[in-house]
Formats: sequence, structure tokens, C-alpha cells
Amino acid sequence: MKSKDIQVLINGQEFKAKEGELVIDIARRNGIFIPALCYEESLKPYGACRMCIVEIKNEGVKKKITTSCTLQAFDGLSIETDSEEVLKHRKVLLELYLAQAPNSSKLKELALRYGVNRTRFRQKIRDDDPLNNSCVLCGLCVRVCSEVMSAGVINFIGRGEKTRVNTPYFEQSELCLGCRACAEVCPTGAIEFRDDGDIRIAASWSNTKVELKKCSMCGKYYAPVKLDKKIDTLYYYKDRDDELRDMCPDCRRKAIARKMTLIAENEVEKYAK
Amino acid sequence: MKINTLEDLIYIREVGLKKLKPRDKVRVSVGMATCGISVGGDVVFEELKEKLKNRDDVLLTKTGCIGFCHVEPLVNVFIPGKGILIYHHVQTKDVKKIIDNFSEAEKLDNVLCQIDKWYHITSDEIVYGGGFTNIPRWSELGFFKPQRKLVMRNSGIINPEDIDEYIAVGGYSALFKALKKMTPEEIINEVKKSGLRGRGGAGFPTGVKWELAKNEQSDVKYVICNADEGDPGAYMNRNEMESDPHSVIEGMIIGGYAIGAHKGIIYIRAEYPLALYRLQKAINEAKNYGLLGKNILGSGFDFDITISKGAGAFVCGEETALIASIEGDIGRPRPRPPFPAQKGLWGKPTNINNVETWTNIPLIVKKGGDWFRGFGNEKSPGTKVFSLVGKVENVGLVEVELGTPIKTVVYDIGGGAPSGKKVKAVQTGGPSGGCIPTKFFDLPIDYENLTSVGSIMGSGGLVVMDENTCMVDTAKFFLDFTVDESCGKCVPCREGLKHMLFILENITKGNGKEEDIKTLEQLSETIKTTSLCGLGQTAPNPVITTIKYFKDEYLEHINNKRCPALVCATLIEFEIDQRKCTGCAVCAKRCPVKAIDGIIGIGETFRIDPNKCIKCGTCLDVCKLGAVIKTSKGVVNEKQGHTSSY
Repeated sequence: MKSKDIQVLINGQEFKAKEGELVIDIARRNGIFIPALCYEESLKPYGACRMCIVEIKNEGVKKKITTSCTLQAFDGLSIETDSEEVLKHRKVLLELYLAQAPNSSKLKELALRYGVNRTRFRQKIRDDDPLNNSCVLCGLCVRVCSEVMSAGVINFIGRGEKTRVNTPYFEQSELCLGCRACAEVCPTGAIEFRDDGDIRIAASWSNTKVELKKCSMCGKYYAPVKLDKKIDTLYYYKDRDDELRDMCPDCRRKAIARKMTLIAENEVEKYAK
Repeated sequence: MKINTLEDLIYIREVGLKKLKPRDKVRVSVGMATCGISVGGDVVFEELKEKLKNRDDVLLTKTGCIGFCHVEPLVNVFIPGKGILIYHHVQTKDVKKIIDNFSEAEKLDNVLCQIDKWYHITSDEIVYGGGFTNIPRWSELGFFKPQRKLVMRNSGIINPEDIDEYIAVGGYSALFKALKKMTPEEIINEVKKSGLRGRGGAGFPTGVKWELAKNEQSDVKYVICNADEGDPGAYMNRNEMESDPHSVIEGMIIGGYAIGAHKGIIYIRAEYPLALYRLQKAINEAKNYGLLGKNILGSGFDFDITISKGAGAFVCGEETALIASIEGDIGRPRPRPPFPAQKGLWGKPTNINNVETWTNIPLIVKKGGDWFRGFGNEKSPGTKVFSLVGKVENVGLVEVELGTPIKTVVYDIGGGAPSGKKVKAVQTGGPSGGCIPTKFFDLPIDYENLTSVGSIMGSGGLVVMDENTCMVDTAKFFLDFTVDESCGKCVPCREGLKHMLFILENITKGNGKEEDIKTLEQLSETIKTTSLCGLGQTAPNPVITTIKYFKDEYLEHINNKRCPALVCATLIEFEIDQRKCTGCAVCAKRCPVKAIDGIIGIGETFRIDPNKCIKCGTCLDVCKLGAVIKTSKGVVNEKQGHTSSY
């Protein structure tokens, strides 16, 4: 099914889009900033952080304030990303975030962008928080782990304000690939990994330990063994070059370059003959 | 046997009528819904069983709840030719009196009323009798008079565990009509014409919802009955399933036929074991009669119902969270679109309706949409069952036409607050509803009106509050519930409600600041506007409405550190009035923390140590002389029950 070409108005400016596209995608494609903590293009819309709210300006729409990560565009849709109403609520939300994750510098930065430099609410600080009092429960790590990596190592524990993210029973996980995708997508920088010799430690995830693979050339530990094996199972990596497969990215690059040079030299020689 | 033709149905109806209205036997039935059992209905039933085991002139059965929970256990005695007598507050000691002399049945002193005739709607009016002299008819009682029983058409009369009795009062005749004489389009048109709106609370037109699901192209579709009732103090749906389970099932089969689904699921909380048992029994009975399964009534339509048990999370009453829960996922709402009608359970078009909505369906199919429109008002046709609880004399389930004024429900049916206290407000719609002060009591109850005063219809909880209820404490109570039940997915609901609760706790402890009210209002607005699902979007309602209508109480707590209703423990104190105290020491003996000391026999010596007192109120409750008084910075209220506001 081909979707229709449509026009939408964002902050009074007209943009081309496809019918049913998410408004946040249209905005970002055109360089319009909409803050979001739980949105990631490669994942299904989730609608939890509520930061990406926009105001719909069209007549007859019941719910004026809605999240742009779940709003599907239609022809003639007109929205504002930073209307007075939107900003009012976004500021309160940011105050709530600052109270929930007082240690996140990324969050503080975002809050400052909206002029929020303090929170009226009681801050929650736990000394033993594995997520360094920075988690806002946006769920990106959980979703990337299950939806993209098909690993399902972490999930939500508990309900409501007692919700936390971690491995089941806070025990070390045997399923963790050590890919660090969770840390990569985390919008508040809450997730901590560190490499210690041939071991990668997921400090936030109950100190889960993952074995690292040694580069056959330089001897550097460069990638988790399990992740390497997982990549082998993916069809587009089936014919990885056998010589290169045990090398770290640096050595691999060098090896490929060397190979290319050799081929080039051969070609020259051949040509000379 | 399988029912295929009208003759089969009529045959079963005759069988059922013989049980419902035996010609030569007395029928004794005990109200045994959960409400009846909890006050001893089951013990009375066992006693009757024991005493009647050698009597073949009496038929003993169970029945559901007629709604008058305040006077339970209820026992109905049907005497052929004379009618049904209802006894209230029946204890085991009364059993002998009841069964010993049926010819003088009306002379016992705990007779509530008689049922002369009853309109089950799906059949003609059934005349049970009316031959008891000097006994009021049920419809003459203040409690029943303003009521209109559509949904509760069979509750408390038929045996819910016997399909024959349901068929006897016209059950499954609507299904017969739907499958044999109507097309799915005709049914949907009839439902649309009736104007029936979702009884789960949001009030979305049911016919429109069905049409959306019907128009989706899919080989598999689902209909779901939402029985995840979880509001504190509300139990309409539980009673509907316990007292008349077949009406839910019949509605669902018709709904499945209308939208083209062959599978129905009842999502019910596991905390309702009796409803679960009766529904399962009803499903099995319906299967035996060929009313569920393949080729229903020989029409070629297949439909089956399974039960899915929920673990009691309040948020699972939200449609998308409910679907997630059935799929085995965490019970958290999902963003819409896609709507359940497009992509619901397992990605298939799904139609979800509340229990009460389903029970209305057989009526609409049988009697027509225009007939249904004859009840209620223009925008909200039909009736609504409310569970009337709190500080009200007649606690129970009341069914009134939509558009009935609040005062009719609270005063005429409910009888006002107990012991002559003044009613202060009524809270509708469960924990997400608002508190409506008495000045709005002329307001006809319907979806729009309740919204206009800041509350919601919700699923039908109606909590009455009297002058001993502290509104700040009430707001705190409901918020405590929603904080606990918030799923934790979106931030305004999870974090925002928590901070609102912190603030309210501070206020009730006398640590409130004047700007707290503004903060509460701001938070409320953001939570309402930006929350993902209905739970968060309505959860601040109790706070918003209490601030709006009872701001003076908030200010009293904040500025004067005083709780005018004498509820908030930190702000009240207990004292002993030395002039009235006789030194009997009852309070001292009962005090759980030994905070009261004195010399027995010398009244003036008894004192409560404020440092030890935990303000449980036991001394106040046990003192027969009214010597214990409760105060809060000048507010004094002598001798009132010390109970929490809810």
C-alpha cells in the first residue's frame, strides 16, 4: 500500500509528508527540535516520556495536547511544537524528571533549555541505585534489548512508582550479550559498563559479566564473545571473511587496507607486464 | 439437549418456570451473592439445607442480590398462590421460625416486603401472587420506588446457577431473535438507535464501537467482556456476574454475531471467585444447550467464550492494558492508534465492552432501540447501576434511569447519612471521580453533567460523605489508591501523582504551605493533559474537585493546622472531660498503648497522655458517658464515632 503525499503545518511552516507518518519524524527530518526521551526510530512507538507533546491547532480536535511520537499525520494537520500550553506542561514534566533522576547531567541540560533549573518536588536519591539515580524509566534499554537485540536481558520490575529496570531478581544474567546497546540509547546516561581485561562488566545490570574476545593480531580485547557468535547467526553476516573475523576493528581496517594495496600493486605489475 | 427451535426454547422455559414458581411447593431462596455471603447468607443456607433435608414440600435454592445489601442476609419465600415474601437480616436462629409455619409467614417480624409481580423484561410480567395482607409491595419501599430495574432485571429473583430459570424469564430469546431473524447490520443499527453508551465509564456509543470492529476486514476477531472492576467501594459488575451471569453471556454472543467474531473472552479479576465460578458454570450450561459452540441454535454461527483471569491490577481495566495482560505481557497501556477495533488482541480487531454494557444488549435486541430510548434522557438513554456506599443509611446496589437527580439517589433511595448527620458531598466514578458538593444535588446524573462539575460517571461507584468526612483526607485516600495502581509507564501519572500524595500528606500532618494548593493545581492540570491513559487523565479529579469546592478545609489544615472534620490524626487530640468521667477505667483498659491513666473510681484523675496517644479513637468509642472528646484546635465534637472518612 502506497501512502498518500500530504501537507502538514508545523509551527506555521508547510512540510511535505506521507499520510500516517509520525509527526515527530517529519519534524526531525526538517530540523525542528522536539524533545523526547523514550522515542527511537528503530523501535515501536511507546508514548511514555510525554516530553514530545505538541499542540494540535486544527478545529474540532478533542484532545489538543498529544504526543508527536504517536500522532499520525493527515493532510492539513497543523501543530505547534512549543506553544504556551505545551511549554507549560513540559516544564512541569521536566521538574518531575529532575526530582526522579537528580544525577543525570543530560537531563539537567535539557531542562535548562526550557529554563527549568530547579524542582519543587522532593528528590529521590538512593545510595544503592545501580542506575546512579539517573533512570527515568523511559524503557528504551528494555525495548532495544528485546526488540532489536532479541536478548531480553532486562525488564521492568515492580509497578507504579516502585518500578525499576534490571535483570530478573537482580541476578547476573547469562543472556546478556554485552553489546551495550542499552547504554547507547539511554537518554540520561544512566547505564554503566566497564571493561576489565578480558571481561566486560555491566555494572548497572547486577554486575553481569561478559567474556571479551581477543584480537588475533594485536591481542586487544575488543568485543564480547557472545555478541560475536550472535552476529554469526544473522544472515547478512554469514560470509564474513575468515581471516578478518577474529580481528579488532582497528586491525581489520589495517588488514583490509593492506589487502587492497596488494591487489593494487598486483594490478600495476600486471599492467606493466 | 441442544436447543434448535422455538419449541425447544419454550419447552425449557416451562421446565424453568416450574422451578421458579413451583405449583405445589414452597420455594425458599437465599440471597447468595458475595455481599449476602459476607454477612452470613451461606450459614443461613446451610442451616436451611440441614433443616429441610427431609421435607419434600420445600424447594431450597440460591439467588443473587436484589440490591438491598444493607439489610442482608435476605431470604425469599415463595408460597404458591400468595407470592414471594422477603425476610431481612435473617440469622440461623430465624430459620426454624421461617420454615415451621408457612401459612402464617407474613406474621414474622423481619419481613421486608412482598413481591407480587416482577417484570423480567425479556418475558412478560410474571405474577407471583400478592396475597399477603398488610405487607408492603417491594415497589412501594422507598429504596426500590425510584429505581428502574433493567440491568438487574433478574437479580435476586432467579437462581444464577440454573440456566433453566434464566430461560424461564425470557433468557436467550433475544439471542434466538438475533440469530434467526436479524442480520448483523440490523443488530448494530438497533444498538446505535438505542443510544447505549459504554457503561465502563467513558460513555462511548456502543453501536458505533461495534460498527468500527465490524468494518475491519479480518478472518479472526474477538469480543471481550471487561470484568476487571477495581474501584474501591464499587461492586456493580461483580453482582451482575454473580446474580445473572447468563445475561452477560447472551449479550456477548449477540455482539460476536454482530461484528463477526467467533471468540469471546471474559477478562475477570481473580479476586472474584464466586463470579468466576458462576460464569464458568453458566458457560458450561450454555454449551450443553448448544447456545455456545458450533452452529448455535442451528443458525450456522459458531461462538465460544473463555475466561481469562486477571491478577487484580486496576490499570488492566484500561482497554489496551487489558489486551496486553491477556497476551501475557505486563499490564501497561499501549499508545493509540492503533485502536483495539483495528489492532487489538493478538493484532486482530477486538471489541471490548464492560459487563453492564453486555447485559443491556439482550434487552435492546429483544425490545428494540426505541424502547430502550424510553429510559434515561436524550444524551444518555437507559439506566445505570450504582453502588451506593459510604456514609449512607441504605447501602446497596441501586439502578436508576440516567437523568435521575443525585438527591433522589442519596436521600430517597439511600435514606441520607446515618444517625441524622448531614451529607456533605458525594463522590462518583471511583478513585478517578470527583467530589460533588450538595449544592449540585439537583443535577441529573448523566455522563455530561457529571463531567461538567469535574467528576466522571466511571463504572458507577457512588460514595456518600457526611460532615464527619475530611475532604483533604478523602482526596488523599483516593490518590493513595491511584499511586498504588499506577502502572508506572508514563511520567505524569507515575511521578506526578506521587508528589501530589506527598503534598497532601504534608497538609494533613499540618506541614502544608499556602503555595501547596497552587502546586497541586498545576500538577493536576499537567497530569490530566499529558498522561497516556485514562487512569492518569482522571486520577487528579478528587484533588481538583475538593480544592474547588472545599478550599476552606484545605486552608484550615494549612493555616490553622486544624482538621474541621476531626479526622486527620496528627491534627486532632483526645481529651477526657473531667466533669463527665466517673473513673470506670474502661477506656484505660481498652487503650492499646496504655496512654490513659487514673485512679479507678475517681473521675477527675483520668488523663490521656498526648505523647503516648496514637489517636486510634478506641477510648471515644468505648466511653458510654461521652466523657471522651475529640478536639482540633478549638473544634470540638463530643461523642461521634471515630472512623476514617472512607
